[in-house]
Amino acid sequence: MSVFTLEAFLAILGLLLLIVEAFAPQISRRTIAAVSLGGTALALVLFLTVASHAPDSLPSFCTPWMRLDSLALFYKGFFLVTTLVVLWLTSECASYLGKYTLEGRLNELYSLPLIVCAAMMWMAAAQDLVTVFVALELVTVSFYVLVAFARKSNLALEAGVKYLILGALSTGVLVFGIAWIYGATGTLSFDGIAKALTAADLNKSPVLLGAAFLLAGLGFKVAAAPFQSWVPDVYQGAPIPVTTFLSVGSKAAGFVVLTRTVDALTVEHSVVGPEVKGLLLILGALTVLLGSLPAMFQQSVKRLLGYSSISHAGYLLLALACVGSTRSGMNASGIVAFYLATYLPMTVLSFLVLALLRVQGSGEDIRDFRGLAKRNPFLAFIMTLSLASLAGLPLTAGFMGKLFVFVGLVDQAYWGALVCAAIGAAAGFYYYFRAIVSMYSPEASAQEPIKLAMPTRVIASALAAAIIILGLYPKPLQQILSQPPEVAAKAAH
Amino acid sequence: MITLNHYLIVSGILFSLGLAGVISRRNILIIFMCLEMMLSAANLALVAFSRFNVTQGLPDYTAQALVFFTITVAAAEVAVGLAIIVALFRTKQSVEVEAVTKLHG
Repeated sequence: MSVFTLEAFLAILGLLLLIVEAFAPQISRRTIAAVSLGGTALALVLFLTVASHAPDSLPSFCTPWMRLDSLALFYKGFFLVTTLVVLWLTSECASYLGKYTLEGRLNELYSLPLIVCAAMMWMAAAQDLVTVFVALELVTVSFYVLVAFARKSNLALEAGVKYLILGALSTGVLVFGIAWIYGATGTLSFDGIAKALTAADLNKSPVLLGAAFLLAGLGFKVAAAPFQSWVPDVYQGAPIPVTTFLSVGSKAAGFVVLTRTVDALTVEHSVVGPEVKGLLLILGALTVLLGSLPAMFQQSVKRLLGYSSISHAGYLLLALACVGSTRSGMNASGIVAFYLATYLPMTVLSFLVLALLRVQGSGEDIRDFRGLAKRNPFLAFIMTLSLASLAGLPLTAGFMGKLFVFVGLVDQAYWGALVCAAIGAAAGFYYYFRAIVSMYSPEASAQEPIKLAMPTRVIASALAAAIIILGLYPKPLQQILSQPPEVAAKAAH
Repeated sequence: MITLNHYLIVSGILFSLGLAGVISRRNILIIFMCLEMMLSAANLALVAFSRFNVTQGLPDYTAQALVFFTITVAAAEVAVGLAIIVALFRTKQSVEVEAVTKLHG
């Protein structure tokens, strides 16, 4: 069995669930949820067994536009885990989300993520801008539906419209960028582009124009400047599971593509290498500042996490600019993948606490977190852990991720970007700890204790454990990611 | 004789017009039309580049294949997008951008 069949399995399962929902409405929400969760879990188990035995087994008709290197395998696993936790979060939130949808139906929230997951997994292996474009748009169009899904809520509808307009704008910019890159290099495959860029007589300006448009278009998907303004609004308006999926899945998907694109553009002896690195540094520094500084004045935790997501995108862009730095044992793409792996548990955990409070009928503002430590010490503890990790407190996963980015920046002597990143990190300590302090304040917003079901406890503890383990002992993950792609490909043969 | 540059200039003008419309118009439907115009501009550039990228007497068709995908994706985007705009009109009785200003910091 090849890894490739998993994507087909997920996409077909998603389509089947959509059809079943349309023609057999009497089937209960629980069944649909169970099938979609079970299907994703099965795909994850199969993936882990296949990936460890015979990773490189693509059918020959896909080899021109797909390749399974170690990075692709890592991201495929990442997307499966993300989809699994998002589906589980959806079932946690079902009781309150049902109030905002037509006739209380939620089935698309269980079937569309499967299709999105399949598209993201295709994207992880894509070697060609056509494949990238189609997979990216499958993700984006599905997200238009997901964001606006709770349509009885005015905020969700508004978020949907904003996401739609800016998403379509970024698509236009992206295709325009692809067109100019193609015009300058005469090819759409990453290998071909990298090869064409090393020719000394290549005209620089069309490539630069294309690269700038391409990076801006991809920047939308990862919540980077100059297309970052939709993030807080959409995060606030969308249902919590969708916000989580956007924040982790969509960002990671954007960064896989960005990694491949930047790798091709900054290949050794590339005529546009220094310019692309400079552009990444400027965008990254700007994104960190535009995310961190407004975050200090937010009252809503969901908006706060939105701005935090922007600033994390900034750090990731800065990491991408550190091409050629190997001080931490990983190259730029490895640092980005490591950062995203630490970003997954901490973001999911903070949205989980938000969702559990929301199910209890609390709001989403910082003041609704007051006295959480008294209502449920466990929830307060895991929220503290995830916020501290997002801020980058030592001994947590977030610290290791940031550390590698800073090491890379020092290694390449990008001092200006380093200063901006440091300012962003300092601001981060202020706004995350404001939320933490509020949880331990003596006056409570509500008194009744919060009870947690056993599965919720187990999964939350597992995520919290992941944060601590990655913070204390990052070596194993570092080793997986430090393997250069060629070595992994050779090992598979 | 029409050269590659003529096509690129038209494509650039279309793209800028679309972008200007997205920024300055207040009606969401018109903004959506301008977005489609930007996509068409990109498609025109792709087809022109493809036609003039001749190897062994034949144009390179990869970019033209991408254009087919772009058109299909744009159609899907319009279907979903119009559904969302219709839902917005039903609740707010308006499709002006002023109808979507509730979310702010």
